[in-house]
Parts: sequence; C-alpha cells; structure tokens
Amino acid sequence: MTRDDRIVFIVDDDPRIREALVELLESHGIAAMTFGSAGAYIDARKPDLPACLLLDIELPDINGLDLQGQIERSDHPPIVFITGHGDIPSSVRAIKHGALDFLTKPFSDTDVLAAVIAAIAQDRADRANRADLSVLRRRYDNLTPRERDVLPLVVSGFLNKQSAAQLGISEVTLQIHRRNVMQKMAVTSLADLVRVAERLGIQTTSRRARGDRS
Amino acid sequence: MTTEFTRYQGVVAVTAIAIGSALSMASASPVGLVAPIVVFQIYAGHRATLPLRSVWIVGLLICVLAGLLGIAGAHSAWFCGAAVFALALCIGELIPTRGSRAREADANEAMRIIESMPAYTWSATPDGHGTHVNAGAFLYMGRPRRNRSLFHELDRAGWRDVIHPDDYERVLEKRKASLVTGLPFDAEYRLRRADGVYRWFWSFGLRSSDEYDAQNGWYGTMIDIEDKKRAEEALRYHEQELSQLVNMVPSHLWRLTPDGEPIFFNQRMIDSLGVDVMDLDIPGKSRLDALLTTIHPDDAERFRSTLDRSLVNGTPFSMRYRLRHADGDFRWMSSRAEPLRNQDGRILQWYGLCHDVDEEMRAQAALRQRERELKRLVDTVPALIWSTTPNGTPTSVNKRFREITGATLEDITAPDGSPSLSVVHPDDVDTARQAANHSFATGTPYVQRYRQLRADGNYRWTETRAEPLRDEAGGILQWYGVSVDIDDLITAQEALQKSERFLWQLVETLPAMIDCAAPNGEPVYRSRQLREFLGYNLDQLDRTGKSRLGGTLDAGVHPDDLAGVKEQYAHCLATGEPYARRHRLRRFDGEYRWVETRAGAMRDAEGAIVQWNVICLDIDGEVRAQEELRLAHERLARASQAASLAELSASIAHEVNQPLAAIVANSHACQRWLTSDPPNIDRAHRTVERIIRDANGAADVVSRIRALFRQSIDKRDLTAIDSVIAEVCDLLAKEAARRGVRMSVVFDKDISPVPLDRIQIIQVLSNLIRNGMEAMDGIAGEKTIKVAARCVEQVVRIEVSDNGHGIQDRDRIFQPFFTTKPSGMGMGLAISRSVVESHGGKLWAENNESGGARVVFTLPMDMKALLT
Repeated sequence: MTRDDRIVFIVDDDPRIREALVELLESHGIAAMTFGSAGAYIDARKPDLPACLLLDIELPDINGLDLQGQIERSDHPPIVFITGHGDIPSSVRAIKHGALDFLTKPFSDTDVLAAVIAAIAQDRADRANRADLSVLRRRYDNLTPRERDVLPLVVSGFLNKQSAAQLGISEVTLQIHRRNVMQKMAVTSLADLVRVAERLGIQTTSRRARGDRS
Repeated sequence: MTTEFTRYQGVVAVTAIAIGSALSMASASPVGLVAPIVVFQIYAGHRATLPLRSVWIVGLLICVLAGLLGIAGAHSAWFCGAAVFALALCIGELIPTRGSRAREADANEAMRIIESMPAYTWSATPDGHGTHVNAGAFLYMGRPRRNRSLFHELDRAGWRDVIHPDDYERVLEKRKASLVTGLPFDAEYRLRRADGVYRWFWSFGLRSSDEYDAQNGWYGTMIDIEDKKRAEEALRYHEQELSQLVNMVPSHLWRLTPDGEPIFFNQRMIDSLGVDVMDLDIPGKSRLDALLTTIHPDDAERFRSTLDRSLVNGTPFSMRYRLRHADGDFRWMSSRAEPLRNQDGRILQWYGLCHDVDEEMRAQAALRQRERELKRLVDTVPALIWSTTPNGTPTSVNKRFREITGATLEDITAPDGSPSLSVVHPDDVDTARQAANHSFATGTPYVQRYRQLRADGNYRWTETRAEPLRDEAGGILQWYGVSVDIDDLITAQEALQKSERFLWQLVETLPAMIDCAAPNGEPVYRSRQLREFLGYNLDQLDRTGKSRLGGTLDAGVHPDDLAGVKEQYAHCLATGEPYARRHRLRRFDGEYRWVETRAGAMRDAEGAIVQWNVICLDIDGEVRAQEELRLAHERLARASQAASLAELSASIAHEVNQPLAAIVANSHACQRWLTSDPPNIDRAHRTVERIIRDANGAADVVSRIRALFRQSIDKRDLTAIDSVIAEVCDLLAKEAARRGVRMSVVFDKDISPVPLDRIQIIQVLSNLIRNGMEAMDGIAGEKTIKVAARCVEQVVRIEVSDNGHGIQDRDRIFQPFFTTKPSGMGMGLAISRSVVESHGGKLWAENNESGGARVVFTLPMDMKALLT
C-alpha cells in the first residue's frame, strides 16, 4: 500500500510515540523509519528518497535542536519538530534554522500529515534542483581553463572583441572558445548560457567596471 | 875495729920501710925495699882480701922456711932477702898489734856495750859500705857471725835478700841521698827474719866526723818497730773507719760550738748543702746566720728560736724543717742535737744529726691530703654515712649525717653501745632494729627503708644499706653504712601507684569495653565492662582448648559476621594495621548487639608491636537509630522531591503528554484503518490495543502522582506542629542562607498535636516558604520569612509571610498552571491547597499591611472534622 518513493524518518526516545506515528503514517500509505536517538539517526544508512524528518526535541543523547544545527550544512530532508511541551524560544529557533513545522504533543493527524507531505514535496523539489545543478556542474568541470576564463566574460555581456582584448587573444580564438563553451555546456543560446552560469553561481563582471578599467 | 886498724897503718908502714931500708943497706941489695911497699900495699888499702891474706900466709911460711934454711947455712942472697922480708912482715904485723892493744881494750868494752844493746847496730864506711853489724842482727837474720867476710857479703848483695822487696828501692834511695848530702839516714823498712817473716825496722844512722872534719864512717841503729807499726796501722784503720762512718752515714752530722757556730759538717752534709763550714765564713755574718739562709724562709724563724732555746737551756734540739740543697730544692729534714759536757757540766760542743725525711714528710702530707679529701668526700657526698664496730656500736658519722639528722654520734649510740635508732620513725623502729640485729649477728648486708627524723623535725623516707668490711680471714672489721634520701622516690612511686590505680579505675569504669591483647592477638586483659558484657572471665577461655582469641570470636561474634571478623583480625595481626569493624556480638544473656571494635597496635621505640589495645563500643542503639535516621532521610528525600512542585508539574505534563500523544496518533491511525477500503481490521485491532495500553499508562502516571501527594489517609498521626515547622526550617536553612533570607519562627507553646500526614504538611510548608523566598528575589533590604503557628478555636492556624512584592491576583494564584515565575508550572499552590483541604483545613493568601504577602492555612485538631 505504501508507495516506496518517499520515506519519513522518526527520531523520538519514546517507543510509544514512534509506534503510533509509524501506524498513522502507514495508514496514510507513507513509509517510515524510526530511530531512538539522534546518534542512531546519524549513523544509520538511510534510503536516498524524498523524505521528511520528524524530530523530537527532548532526546536522550543530543537535543533535537542541536541535531538540526549539526546537519544544517549538508543535504538533509526538511525537519518537522515534535515536542511534549514546546516553548516559544525553542520553536522560534527551530523555524529560524529552517525547520518546516513545529508540532506539540498531542498532535492531530491532519497537522502531522500536512506537515509531512509538505516536507516531502519540498524535499522532492530540492532533490530535483540538486540533480540539475550537478549535471551543470559536471559540464562546467569539462571546460578547459581558458574556456572557464572566457565563460564569465561572455555571460557578462562583453563583445567578442572586448573579451579577446581582455584575455590578450585574438577575436577568432575567442570565438572558437565561445563555441566550445556553448557546446560543452549544452546550450543553444546565449540566454541559456547566462541562466546556467547564474545557477552555477558564476560571477559576472560589470561591463562598466571593466570598461573603467580598460 | 876498722877505725882502730886504720889509725895505725901509717906507723906500720913507716916501720916496715925503715927496716926494709936497713936490710937493703946491710945486704947491699934492694930487696929490703920490697917490704914497706908490701906492707903499705897490705894495710893501707884496707883491702884485706883472701888472696892477699893467702899471699901473706905463704910469705910467712917461706919466711919460716928460709929462716930454718939460713940457719942451716945456705946463704943465698935471695934467701936472705926473703927471710928479711918475712921478718919485716912479722915485725910489721907485730908492731901495730902491740901499739893498739890498749886502745883495743877500750874498743872491746865499747863493742860489748854495742853488742849488748837492745838494738841492732851497724857502721859503715863514709862511702856507705857496711863495716859492722852487731850480733843480734845476725842472729835475727839467722846467719852465724862467723867472720867479717859474711858482712861484706851482706854489704854487697845480701841486703837485697833481707830487705822487703817493696822497701828495697826506697831504702837505697835514702842511702844514696844521705851519702850525697850527709844528712842522717832515717828509714823504715821490713827485714826478713830467719823464719822468713818480715818485720818493720827503723834504721837511723849518722855520719861521724873527727876533729879534722874528716869523715870516718856512718853509725846507726836498727830498731824493731813492728809492734808500733802495727799499732799505728790499727789506729789509722780505726780512724779511717770512723771517718768513713762519719762520712758515709746517710745523715748529716755536724758540730757546733757552744754558742752555735758550726764547726764541722760531714761529707754528706757538704755534698747536700754544697757548702762546707768554711764556706759559711761570710764577712759580717756569723756562720749560723749564713747557715740560716739555707733553711726554708717559712721554717727559718722557728729554727732560729728553737736552736736559741736549746743553746741557752742546754736542752736537746729537735725539729723538722726544710733545707735547701745544692740543687736548690728544699727538702724536709729531721734534725737533732745534743750537747757534750765536761766534768763540770759545761757544754763543750753540740753534736748534731740531721737526716732527710722529705719522702716521709711528703708521704705524710699526701696521706693527710688524701685523708682530708676522703673526709671531705665522706662529708660532702649527698648521703648519710656511718660506720659501726662489728657488733654494731656506732663509731663515726659524717658531717652530712649530723647536719641533716641533727644527731651526733653520741645521740645514735645507746648507753649499752648498741645503735639507738633514735632517728628512725617510731613505727619503723622495730623492723629496723630487727633487721640490724640480724645483720650484725649473721654478717649479711643490711638494707632497710624507713622514715628518718630530720633536724627540722620532719620524717623523710630513707634507704639505708650497710655492708661489713672483712679481714682476710673473713672476720668482720667494721660495718659501713649509707643512708640515702628516697623520699622523693617513694613519693613518686606512690604517685605512680596512685596514677596507675587511677588509670586502672579509669579503664575499668570507662563506659566502653576495653581489651588488651598480646602481639599475636591473644587477649591478656579485659575491662570490667567487657567481662560483664561477655559474662565470663578471660581465664575461663583457657580450658576450651582453643586460643583465647579464637574462643572469644567463636563464642561471641554473630555467625553471619564471624568470617569477616576473623579475616580482618588475621590481616591486622599480620600487617599491624589498625582494626576497625562493626559486627554483632553476643551478650551474656544471648542477645546479639551491634558493637564497633577498634584496635591499634602499641609499639616500642623500635616499632615492634608490644600490645594491641582494643576498644569495643556497644553501638546497638546507635545502629538502630541510624537505621531510623536512614528511613527518615528517605522520607525527607521524598518530601523534598515533592516539595519542588514546579519541577514536578513539568514532569507530570511530560509523563502524561507522551501517552496522550501516542493515543491520539493511534486513534487516528485506527480510524484510518477502519475507514479504508477494504478496512484493515488487523491493523486497527493492533492500534486499539496500543491505545488501551497507553491510556492505562497515562492513568498509572496520574495515580502515581496522586499517591505521591496523598500517601494514605490512615497514616495521619497526631503530630506536634512545632516539630514539623522545625523540620522544614532545618530542611530549608541552607537554601535560605544562599538566598540571604532570614527565617523566624513563632508559635504558641501549648499547641495540641494535630492529626496530619507529616510528609504532606512538610511539602505544603516548604512550598509556601519557597514561594515566599522566591517572591523576595530582587527586593532591596532585609528579606525575612516569618512562620507563625497559633491555636485558634480547635484549629491550628499557620501563617507564612514574606516582605516581597505582594500578590496581585489573589483568586487566580490557586488555579493550576497559573504562575508568576519564569520557570514555574503554576502547580504548587494548587497542590498545596488540595493537600490542606484533604486534611479538612483551608488555605488562602493575603497581602500584608506592611507589604509582602501572607499565605495562611488551617488544620483542625479534631479528627471528626477530618472525617466529615
């Protein structure tokens, strides 16, 4: 019944809560994995699926908020906090650090399901985004150093002549580089190339600034 | 005779010459001239030698023969001449003989005198040749006086035979000297008598001269002086003896004139003094004065006065003085002198004797010094020293004895000569006397302690010891005793005994059981408390066949504790570590009581264990009290846990929320399983089971909480409220101090006990007091919590008031979860109110007029009020 294209990770020290949440999620066709502590969650091998992390604040080893801080910089599923007696400071802190929701026990099934589904949807989007970006990054990695020099100048709107002058090469050579870049980056237009560069976070150079310089 | 003979030689010669000449004339031959020449030759030279006489005799015979022949008629000229010659000779011989006959008579007379003289006489020619020696001399020498030739013989060599060889040379020397000088010959020499014995002779000879000063010989005598010589020799020998005696006698001998001037010192005195009497002749000083300078200055004056007295009175002189000897040292001399008087009694001389007594004097001085030292020692030694005769009569006591006891030798001697024991305390006299008599009778050393009377009238303990001095045969010569003051010792001993007795009593009466054990753990002493506790004495253990320690442990220690106790004992005995253990010990009545036993090792200076000292305390009451205390602590801990209601309520919330959350989630899931198509009954069923389980769990939580607050209504005991308040104040004293809050408690004296659950009321009180203290956080000035309890109409009213900010909303504070504190849950007052109400009382809050809040609750005294 459950679709295996998504999963919920539950971290709570109370086995009754873990049981009940699994039951609830499964009754809605959502698969779940449970962990008794933050350490167990970190160490476990987890399926690479769109997911949601249901995280209790009061944990025996690491506080839930601290776990959030630890995994913040890596790719992780969106977090929904559940707590026995939530207070405002903790919830504010959790939301500020990117938590999707903050539920207090006892919670209604609709709140839980809504939060979980939203979280999975967001994760799915994030994952797709991350996959595109990795394709683009791989393409970018194929560029020669000279082509990587050429790319920012092209997407910054410089004329071929300007770019060639700036790099100290002939306009013809520049044009060959530009064509290679377009091919390697799998774009057909300059506009596409600009968008790709933007996603890759490549710095563009202000024409005026360059102009001032030249 | 010789002299006589010589006198007529000339006449003979002249006569002979005259006849010879006449004959020569008559016969007309010169032969007559021979006669006078021959005569001259014969007589003039006095050399009547044998050949000459022989010639003379032959001539005479020829003369006679010739005369006979001549008569016969043969006239030969040569015979005539010879006859004439012989005649001449005869005439010549006759003439002198006849001419000297008269003289010869005188000479014979003289010779007889000489011969009969009681001396030996001699004569000699002027040139010293002997001419005569009288008959006695020959007789003496044992030679017959046969002829003069013998004398000649003597004269030539015989003297050497008769004169003693030792004297011969000397005599010859004298003879020669006398011959040369003509002085009388005077010599003494020994002559050998016929029997070979030498005798002394004195020979004296003078040279005799005639009127023409012509020497005509020497004449002298030899007198036998043997006896005189012997006497002289004896005299000389005696004199020498005497002189030797005087000089060799080991004393100084001297002689003084009647007025004291020294006139003789013997050799020894001269040697010792280095001066002879002559050396004392110093101008301007008498010899006596000079002599005085050799006497020690300290003795000189006495010497002078003693000597003067003797000189004046004629009494013998005797004294000892120091005399300076030649080497400058003064030596002690003992001198005596007595006068020699003549028949009139007048003193002629003083004869004195003086001998060296230095050694003796020094020995005496040393002896005196030693004696003095000994006496000083005896007198200064800090003990009383005395001596008695062998039968006990006191003979001496030392100075200290007299000083300390004030008793003299007479005082301690009874009239019958026995020791009076007057210095002994009356109570000790009998035993002392008995011991003394025993010692004197048997010769065994005497040792006695008694109280001795002192000069100041006090008695002091004294130890007297006496031992006999024995001669070589073992007979007792003297008893010597010493008494030493041992009063301090006795006092100290008494004090020691007293202190020992005190310590003994201390140990015996200390409210602890004390035990001493040998280094191997065997008990050697047990105090009365321990003996009474165990109910048997130490020696009773010796019959059991076990060691004392083992017997004690087996008999006394609780079987459950025995192994541990034995193990630890063994460990401590092996290592010397202190022992400490609590275990149960069987009392004499069979009851096991908790005791705490501690043992420590007593060590000597080397660190070796000499004894184990054990103390054993009955801590049964203490152990039981501790058990109770522990229970109280548990209750208190529970109370304290409950008192912190804020934390408690948070915990309650969590505890209840967890199952609730599970229930809610499970309920939704169940609903979902049931409403799905087709319905998943299995899952729904499982879910429902979980719901039931979790709901029960939540109910348990609730009932646990309820039980916590309301243990049981049966547990309500009548309790004095003041003790509860005191307990809470103790409980919170630290917290109050930390917060700087002063707590004051006031309650009526006669508050009756109230039926209450002590723990719950403690919870309420501590909650109220904590609230009050928290309410005063941050206020300036003194923070005070006042707890007051009063009794008002069968109700105890307890107030807890603070001086904080007061209460704004007096109704809402009792609602659950209402709180003004940042970390509070708002449960404390609600629970407190429910507790008080469960006791039938009321709880409310007021604001004080003077600021701050006051929470008041009441507890009814009546149990019925509780029941209604």
